[in-house]
Amino acid sequence: MSATTLPARRAPIRLRVGFGEAAGFLLVGAMLLLMAMGEWIAPHSATAFNPMHTLEAPSFSFPFGTDEFGRDVFSRVLAGARPTLLLAISAAALGVVLGTVTGLTAGYRPGAVDETIMRVMDALMSFPGLILAMLVVVMLGPAAINVVTAIALVFWPRSARLVRAVVVDLAQREFIEAARSRGETSRFILFRELLPNVLPIIVVDFSLRVTSGILLAASLAYLGIGVTPPTPAWGLMVRDGQQFIEIAPWLVVWPCLAIALASIGTVLLGERLRHKLALPGGGRAR
Amino acid sequence: MNVMTDLAPPVLDVRHLSITYGPLKAVRDVSFRIAPGESLGLIGESGSGKSSIAFAVMRYIKGAASGEVHLAGQEILSLPEPALAALRGRVAAMVYQDPMSALNPAIKVGEQIAEAIRLHRRAGKAEAWARSVELLTRVHLPRPAEIAHRYPHQLSGGQQQRVVIAMALACDPQLLIMDEPTTGLDVTTEAVILELVNELRRETGVAVLFISHNMGVVAQVCDRVGVLYAGQLVEEGTTQQVLRAPLHPYTVALMRAMPSIEGPRRRLAAIPGRLPDMRAPPPGCIFAARCAIADDNCHAEMPALEAAEQGAAGHRSRCHHRDDIATRLPPEPLVEEADLAELTAGRPRLQIVDVQKSFRARPALPFMRGPAPVRAVDHVTLDIAPGRTLAVVGESGSGKSTLARCVAGLILPEEGAIRLENDVLAPLVQKRGRGAQQAVQFIFQNPDAALNPHWSVAQIVGRPMTLYGFERDSAALKRRVIEHLEAVKLGERYLSLYPREMSGGEKQRVSIARAFAAQPRLIVCDEPTSALDISVQAAILNELLALQRQHDTSYLFISHDLGVVRHVAHQVAIMRQGRIVESGPPSAVFGTPREDYTKALIAAIPTLEPRQAPALVTA
Amino acid sequence: MQALGFILRRVALLAVVLLAVSVLTFAIVNVLPGDVATAVLGDMATPEQVTAVRAALGLDQPLAERYLRWLWAALQGDFGRSLQHGQAIAPMLSGRLGNSAILGLITLGIAAPLAVALGVVAALKPGGWLDKVIGAIAVGAYALPEYVIGLLFILAFSIWLPLLPGSSLMDPNENPFSRPEALVLPIAVLITGMLAFISQITRASMIQVMGSAYVRTAILKGVPRWRVVMKHALPNLLPPTIAEIGMYFGYVIGGLVVVETLFSYSGLGQMVTNAVSYRDVPVIQAVVLLVAAAYGIGNLIADVAALLMNPRLRS
Repeated sequence: MSATTLPARRAPIRLRVGFGEAAGFLLVGAMLLLMAMGEWIAPHSATAFNPMHTLEAPSFSFPFGTDEFGRDVFSRVLAGARPTLLLAISAAALGVVLGTVTGLTAGYRPGAVDETIMRVMDALMSFPGLILAMLVVVMLGPAAINVVTAIALVFWPRSARLVRAVVVDLAQREFIEAARSRGETSRFILFRELLPNVLPIIVVDFSLRVTSGILLAASLAYLGIGVTPPTPAWGLMVRDGQQFIEIAPWLVVWPCLAIALASIGTVLLGERLRHKLALPGGGRAR
Repeated sequence: MNVMTDLAPPVLDVRHLSITYGPLKAVRDVSFRIAPGESLGLIGESGSGKSSIAFAVMRYIKGAASGEVHLAGQEILSLPEPALAALRGRVAAMVYQDPMSALNPAIKVGEQIAEAIRLHRRAGKAEAWARSVELLTRVHLPRPAEIAHRYPHQLSGGQQQRVVIAMALACDPQLLIMDEPTTGLDVTTEAVILELVNELRRETGVAVLFISHNMGVVAQVCDRVGVLYAGQLVEEGTTQQVLRAPLHPYTVALMRAMPSIEGPRRRLAAIPGRLPDMRAPPPGCIFAARCAIADDNCHAEMPALEAAEQGAAGHRSRCHHRDDIATRLPPEPLVEEADLAELTAGRPRLQIVDVQKSFRARPALPFMRGPAPVRAVDHVTLDIAPGRTLAVVGESGSGKSTLARCVAGLILPEEGAIRLENDVLAPLVQKRGRGAQQAVQFIFQNPDAALNPHWSVAQIVGRPMTLYGFERDSAALKRRVIEHLEAVKLGERYLSLYPREMSGGEKQRVSIARAFAAQPRLIVCDEPTSALDISVQAAILNELLALQRQHDTSYLFISHDLGVVRHVAHQVAIMRQGRIVESGPPSAVFGTPREDYTKALIAAIPTLEPRQAPALVTA
Repeated sequence: MQALGFILRRVALLAVVLLAVSVLTFAIVNVLPGDVATAVLGDMATPEQVTAVRAALGLDQPLAERYLRWLWAALQGDFGRSLQHGQAIAPMLSGRLGNSAILGLITLGIAAPLAVALGVVAALKPGGWLDKVIGAIAVGAYALPEYVIGLLFILAFSIWLPLLPGSSLMDPNENPFSRPEALVLPIAVLITGMLAFISQITRASMIQVMGSAYVRTAILKGVPRWRVVMKHALPNLLPPTIAEIGMYFGYVIGGLVVVETLFSYSGLGQMVTNAVSYRDVPVIQAVVLLVAAAYGIGNLIADVAALLMNPRLRS
């Protein structure tokens, strides 16, 4: 027995619920709508100060109340969808694409190429995710694109590991040997034989990464990293509202709820994807 | 079998057992009894419901069971859970197909045996351990006191199965249920395990329910045999009656599909068609759709399981034509002329010259010395004539698959050369030219893994033709794909199917079509039928033979099954620990083997004739 | 022998990875477009100021030399001086490292066994009501960032029901055990986050183990159900689960950063967020290196523990 028989690392998380797949669709749909046009639906400006109405409790004209500068919390929560979700989705996409290319290459080329790539990935992995993201954003400066880069850098080695594990497993299967014995090129085997088999896993991975992306982006914003006031990012709103938690809890409750709904929505949708994306040919068993 | 045991109350009495998995009717109205000390074999192919019955006797099934199962006088299906646990392992115990996975990897084997003794006998720790060592001695394990302290992964497959048998014997059960206990073991190990089962039966008087797909194995250990097809018992009788004078067309068909090394060489007969839809089984005889002698009555009315008018009372068949089946059935397929044995003179198509390959385990650290390399293929030299088959036979670990992969260029050998007619091939396939790549094709053992699950049949079979540039026009390509599919008895309707929508046999046919689509000169067949049922295997072997004759293709045929090899090979090479120990035409190798290993290999094959007890070899 | 080889290889690998981490940390700070001197001074700095700071920080020397010098000093426990406080960094670290370790280890000590137990219980009857409840809580806990859970706890247990302090503000060198009530909420938040992952991973492996052939063998041997779970399933479940828990040390560390900030608890996490807002680069480098080392060692311990529990690899 060699040490390679250590149990294979499984997919990062296996959450499942027996209900609410429709809720997932609904939540994600609503969030995407907000992302596209939250600013226009908002009844008030998300950034304009209003000294007449500071720290007001929720009312008919300010349904989620107002903050210490008199800004409408409802409008800010609506407008905050874009900075959070857009970041999460682009970071997840970038990270998963990078991870897929690296994972495919490493998995199909055992030996020096694989070793080199995976040691670099190990090094990236040995930073706890949040710490690495902090480090990168701090050095690149506070801008949305830098936050995307930082989060993608966190996802990259994790996706690469997952894809590599799947590819290593597939590469031992006989249909790959069949392709090799036919004389197919490596490119053909990677992209035509392997990729279709890895794709469902990549899609599910992407959906998981969007969830973690929302959480990471919200945590960075909460720590005051990457976004600057007065951007209406949900995490930042929580950070700023925290000092008033005893007199104006609505300042933290509504943005927290927004984060919760967005990430729970993506979790539920990801679950749905995992069940749906099995094999081609739909459910037609023999 | 004697009259006394017939009169004693049966150990196991199964009455009208039916098992359903959702809409699937896996077992329908099966009844049988096992007397004390008796051994009953249940034979069936996949989908026959044989394993479901075995586990139903222990009431361990996911589906719903109806009917009655009386085990030592107690009805199992209605027993409360604690009473059931008290019976399991004590009154009836089980031996499983895959001993490696049936043993707990984290517990010493001695403890796995002792546990049952402590539970059922309330024995003390030391007493139970002593008994477990005694049981390991009983199953002829060498140094049992030491083996008791080992973990399962430290034992060989044969040793693991002995441990499982010792565990089953722990509490002196009245019934042993053996579910394919030798499937997956090498044939020499199998022979030893079967002999152990017979010895234990003689000495302990334990009754056995033996589940198997292999008629030869059943013949070695069973007094009586039941034949299962699609969830129904179609024939039942003594082993001699059923296997020597079968009264059901399915049993006959199975025997005719079974490759054998005894007697004159027959043509294997495949069973046409496939299993009926088990969600809506036909109203008449379950086998009617595939039966050569079925008439309208067979399709309309289900026959009862009864004895023939002139026959013995215990020999019953579920066939309307049981009384005159021998005259109704078409005669046995003709014995083929000896054309397989003759050798064509002239230049060999493929030459394997002095090939060597060893595998080295990785050391713990880069600068440390690893374990000594293992020679998988040790200076092998072989020739294959044009249009002929060279079969390489060996047990697991003999290096036969490594040799196959060296020929195909999938593995880089350290030494030696592969010559295809006039050309020396590059060792690795990606370095070979298009022509050489096209000339050598591969058919794999496991049809489930050999086809890309995301490709349709049209893409799979069409790919070699586009890759090698035979066909660019898509309509013509489609026509050629259909031709190749029809050559393996699949039609146009398979074009859009994906692998998981097909049966194992159909997938293997697609693999064959893909290999022939390349118009190869040589095909490496790596155990192409060992994952298939006997009836499907017969069909696949016949098609391989027909295609070979038609296209003058040479085969390098890798197999562990001497019976199969005898039906396909023109030349046989016996391989052991990387070396060829004996080679020659099949008539010589099987008829007058020179080497002891070859003789042992042939002697170990379970035939329909029960063997005299040989001296126990410890595997 | 096999196990020893594995441990040696694992230690060697950790050393290589930590070296790579130090290179990466150094590179991210020094090679990325943001220059440390401008980062310190802000965009309004004059070129003279920048040059002066660069000289003070040794930034005018060759990259490789700076890296080696920095690494050599760090190996001896000298992480330089904080730009924000002007003090040596090493003494600042020690008290905070202890504080963070207290939070992290208590969390692990409670959360790991609890989560494994919950996962096992959920797996005994997949689809049962207990499984559904545990699953729903896990989804909730997974989907919420730590500070959202933390604020919920603060609202519930320190504002609406004033039971526990909503802030754990203390001097870095004060012993946290002198005010144990201040530890309750931060630990509760971290535990909640960890439960989600580990319980669901355990559940999945347990379902697989319970469906295995050797568990079937035990049942058909007449072994009672509780004994099947305890003696036959758990010994096979624990090694991979422990290795898996090792993978989530990083998650706990990320959680620490957020939770320490939320509760104003003086640990490494709070230190690094402070350093980030002041762009105190030497402090950031020191903390990141320390955290990566802790993560790597934690992972190593988990892997070795898993190895020692697995007879297949031990022998």
